[in-house]
Amino acid sequence: MLQMPTLTVTSVADEVTAMLERIFAALGTLRTSVEQVYAERAGTGAFPGVADLEALRGQIIGMLGTERGLVVGCGFITDVGMLADRPRWLEWWKGEVPNDPVRLQVSLDPTSEEFLDYTRQPWFSTPRSTGQRHVTGPYVDYLCTDEYSLTFTLPVHDGDQFVGVVGSDVYVRGLERVLMPLLRSLGGRIALVNAHGRVVVSTSVRQVTGSLVRSPDVVQLWENGAGGPLYRCGRLPLALLELP
Amino acid sequence: MTESAARSAVFAPLEQRGRAETVAKRLTDAISLGLLEDGEQLPSESELAARFGVSTVTIREALTALRQQELVETRRGRGGGSFVRTPADRAKATVRARLREMTLAEIRDIGDEYSAIAGTAARLAAERASAEDIARIGTSVDELGSGESGVQRAERAFHLEVAASGQSPRLTQLEVRLQGEFGALLWLPTSEQGALRTAREAHTAIAAAIADADGPRARELTEKHVLEAIEQLAELHMRLCTT
Repeated sequence: MLQMPTLTVTSVADEVTAMLERIFAALGTLRTSVEQVYAERAGTGAFPGVADLEALRGQIIGMLGTERGLVVGCGFITDVGMLADRPRWLEWWKGEVPNDPVRLQVSLDPTSEEFLDYTRQPWFSTPRSTGQRHVTGPYVDYLCTDEYSLTFTLPVHDGDQFVGVVGSDVYVRGLERVLMPLLRSLGGRIALVNAHGRVVVSTSVRQVTGSLVRSPDVVQLWENGAGGPLYRCGRLPLALLELP
Repeated sequence: MTESAARSAVFAPLEQRGRAETVAKRLTDAISLGLLEDGEQLPSESELAARFGVSTVTIREALTALRQQELVETRRGRGGGSFVRTPADRAKATVRARLREMTLAEIRDIGDEYSAIAGTAARLAAERASAEDIARIGTSVDELGSGESGVQRAERAFHLEVAASGQSPRLTQLEVRLQGEFGALLWLPTSEQGALRTAREAHTAIAAAIADADGPRARELTEKHVLEAIEQLAELHMRLCTT
């Protein structure tokens, strides 16, 4: 008879890490493709246009539904002025249902009432200013999906020039569906939290999704490094926390 | 000087014996459609009377109504006359027209709903906002004062940031829906001086309560802020109706 491997907090943290790192790895591949689109245009002295981004569509849509359906949105979002024919652009596709991708449509006209400046959203501005990958959330994504989400983004450069971000969206409810059985099997009260102590998924009804854990001080524990009650998910700004 | 057909139609004689209201309506429409431009001088009262086919008394009455809606400005003395005042945002004229048609009961009811949503969102934000959220709320407070973007957009951005900081997608969606439906209306009086300062003070106080994690205070201040906006809206409604 096959023996189920014993789950520990560390092994669950490792599993979460592996799963989310695969999302970043796929984004790395997408980033290379975007860089290629820019490189092909380098000789012309002009940035690519919207039509050139169509070359990315197959790859973007192919990422939807991956990681057990966790990836529900994916794409490339340009910084202002980094496309030849559009000041702003979101080559962003959404799809919760298999084989039915929809391109995200939001107002890109700064004079319109509905316009929201996406370049100021943390998932865009943080990778732009740090040059590093970023995990935003959990947060209410009022700009794109109206859902409680995590957004994974990587900065994209054309030479030294920042041109935008590639990213993937994961709904918190999707993550809960995937993680809850694992967390429950650990017994006790345990939560996946971000580096600010914000609860992503929790087995405690007193510390639910979206709440901030104020005690213990997660930020403090984070700086102290490894060891319970906080089990960090590799280099990701996420950790499993054993709740008191 | 030749006029376009559309412009001539603005001043075409009225079929019925003219009433001030009809004249005012036609001019209001022309302003909101952009047929009459900002700063443009209207023909003299007697010329308007001749073109509309009404008495100068009627014209004067119509211009008074337009002045109250701040769509026309009358300057005295040499080079004086009536000048078109296009609202910075053309939509504003439409919004004013909409406000005029509303009842006080409806205005109050919008306030009740909005206060429930924004108040609860502020309480949740106080309980759940992280340092990052608080910083973003702070940025949106500064925008209202610095006049970088339109007042209404700044109001919208502030309340949206607060709602999102409450970590509730449903409440945020309600906030977005209400802003879409009534935002232009609700923050209309805020564009006026005095009201702007009050709004900025309110935002500063709400942001401070959220930073202090004081939920009840954040809610109370937000409800007060909404009530003030509604009261100003009701007053503007009354002014627009008194013609």
